[in-house]
Amino acid sequence: MKDNLISIKSVTKSFTKGKTTITPLENLSLDVPRGEFLSLMGPSGSGKTTLLNLIAGIDTPTSGEILINGEDISQLSRAQLTKWRAVHVGYIFQLYHLVPILSAYENVELPLLLGKYSKAERKKKINAALELVGLSDRADHRPSELSGGQEQRVAIARAIVHDPDLLVADEPTGDLDRESADSILNLLNSLAKDHGKTVVMVTHDPKASAAAHRALQLEKGQFSSEGHLLNTSTQ
Amino acid sequence: MKLLTLALKNLTRNRLRSLLTVLGVAAGMFLYASVQTMQHSLSVATEGNANDTTLVVYRENRFCPMTSRLPEHYLATIERIKGVREVIPIQIAVNNCGASLDVITFRGVPPETLKQYNPNIKVISGSYDDFVKQSDAALVGQHFAERRGLTPGDKFEAVGVNVTVAGIISSDSPQDENVAYVHLPFLQQASRIGLGIVTQFNVRVDSADLLEPVARQIDETFKSDQQPTDTKPEKAFFAETAKQMIELIGFTRWLGLGAVVAVLGLVANAVLLIVRGRVKETAIFQTLGFSRMAIGLMVVFEGVLLGLVGGLIGVLGAMAFFHFKAFTLGNEGLTLALSPSTTVLVSGLVVAVALGLLASLYPAWKATSRPLVQSLNS
Ligand SMILES: Nc1ncnc2c1ncn2[C@@H]1O[C@H](COP(=O)(O)OP(=O)(O)OP(=O)(O)O)[C@@H](O)[C@H]1O
Ligand SMILES: [Mg+2]
Repeated sequence: MKDNLISIKSVTKSFTKGKTTITPLENLSLDVPRGEFLSLMGPSGSGKTTLLNLIAGIDTPTSGEILINGEDISQLSRAQLTKWRAVHVGYIFQLYHLVPILSAYENVELPLLLGKYSKAERKKKINAALELVGLSDRADHRPSELSGGQEQRVAIARAIVHDPDLLVADEPTGDLDRESADSILNLLNSLAKDHGKTVVMVTHDPKASAAAHRALQLEKGQFSSEGHLLNTSTQ
Repeated sequence: MKLLTLALKNLTRNRLRSLLTVLGVAAGMFLYASVQTMQHSLSVATEGNANDTTLVVYRENRFCPMTSRLPEHYLATIERIKGVREVIPIQIAVNNCGASLDVITFRGVPPETLKQYNPNIKVISGSYDDFVKQSDAALVGQHFAERRGLTPGDKFEAVGVNVTVAGIISSDSPQDENVAYVHLPFLQQASRIGLGIVTQFNVRVDSADLLEPVARQIDETFKSDQQPTDTKPEKAFFAETAKQMIELIGFTRWLGLGAVVAVLGLVANAVLLIVRGRVKETAIFQTLGFSRMAIGLMVVFEGVLLGLVGGLIGVLGAMAFFHFKAFTLGNEGLTLALSPSTTVLVSGLVVAVALGLLASLYPAWKATSRPLVQSLNS
């Protein structure tokens, strides 16, 4: 049996605003094996971000189960989800969203402030994460002193510093030039391949999608096709 | 790096806004602390020092020391009344009978009886003997001396009276600190009231329950005399003479309240703007796993810091103001020194912090209550 980190069962998500109800995801199921780099593609409004947010525990489904590492997170309260995210998820945004008044080092430190780490332990982890993304020499720089690609690397360091199993990325290369995008994709790929992280990435870019182990096409809340662009070996 | 340092760093983001807010808070807290200083000085003056076994004998229907004139020979009559322990005749000369900010008060007393009647008085420089020996000598209250920059040996003139400072006194009774004690006959002559006339008698009775009967008996005794008297316990006397001042100062309470409301609004507005400008960032922090409590606390810290820094500047400013411009508020011979006090300092800072806290509670709640997805999308 495959070891699935993510197991989504008949998930429906509706948004109700006044009298209108939008259902971006309907009765959707998905399994993602541990260590897979999965890309989600699809037209705008197809529910990619909505799905990603459910997986990351940022939102809860209207119905259905979301098992992450065997734990059904659809049943958790908002406060419980917050705690859960602090341990299990690293989120990478399209626009990086670093805190502008903090240095790269301090930005990466943020998730560690939520755990019981000593200052020395934090330092070790932060330096390791910065080294992994190749920015050891930029630790003291503020986001405004970094290029977009570098900012995204810092954001990735922030997402992995507390060593979560799951990384989710919403169009992480959407705002970058080809070269920077490629290096980010390589980084994500290596995080899955070499570090055993499960990576779920939303993208509009077929080239980005090609960097993943598997690509899924989402259309009107359903998977329309599945492409195995790379060999799906998860190890 | 804790939440507090993060909050502190956040305040430096929009320096101009933080600065303007702090200045506004400082102005409001300056006003608040000034009002509190008046209130505090008043309560110290009217509640703290009235002696519970002292009666004040005044001319009936007279309220200003300049118009209350009683024959000094009443002294002997009053002394014979049962229950009376001691009596001191006092001539009071003030420069201004109405409410005024720079009141100068002379109290003429028989020099040899002063110490005996008022053992609280401590001569902190100069000497009591010099005061007794020299007919134009004055014992000047500490606050009075400070205000006028007087030291023993100095001569000064006020209300047409020329005196030589023989000593500076301190006393637990604030009234003593604001006056200059001089010889009774000297003041009677110098103020042209004439010998044998005094403003009031202070009568000490054996026990508090004798205040009423003794007062009644004194007034009874002089009822058909040319100068009928009105005798009251010192506490009631203070309360009455201070009535106008209490009303005036009572009114300033509203200024203080207004200042508090203004500070509250100012900080609330600033924190709301801060929160509104950081909806997305707040959502990012939550995505990273920061609890709503932690984020709310960060917002509250910012509000409290604004309150605290503004409060420090405003309250310390007010303290410095009252320290360097020693005002003495007076009305009908009752003087009230407006002096800075640690009580006001501490309470002012507490109020500033509380206002910062109060003002940021709603913004903090607002910042964290929005659904996370919605904030991320904004
Ligand atoms: N919080 C919300 N409230 C109401 N409707 C929402 C909300 N979030 C998403 N939707 C709706 O759900 C649908 C899917 O949105 P979603 O953001 O998942 O699309 P997407 O595939 O990520 O699109 P894009 O490629 O443009 O980012 C859209 O019609 C959107 O309007
Ligand atoms: Mg999207």
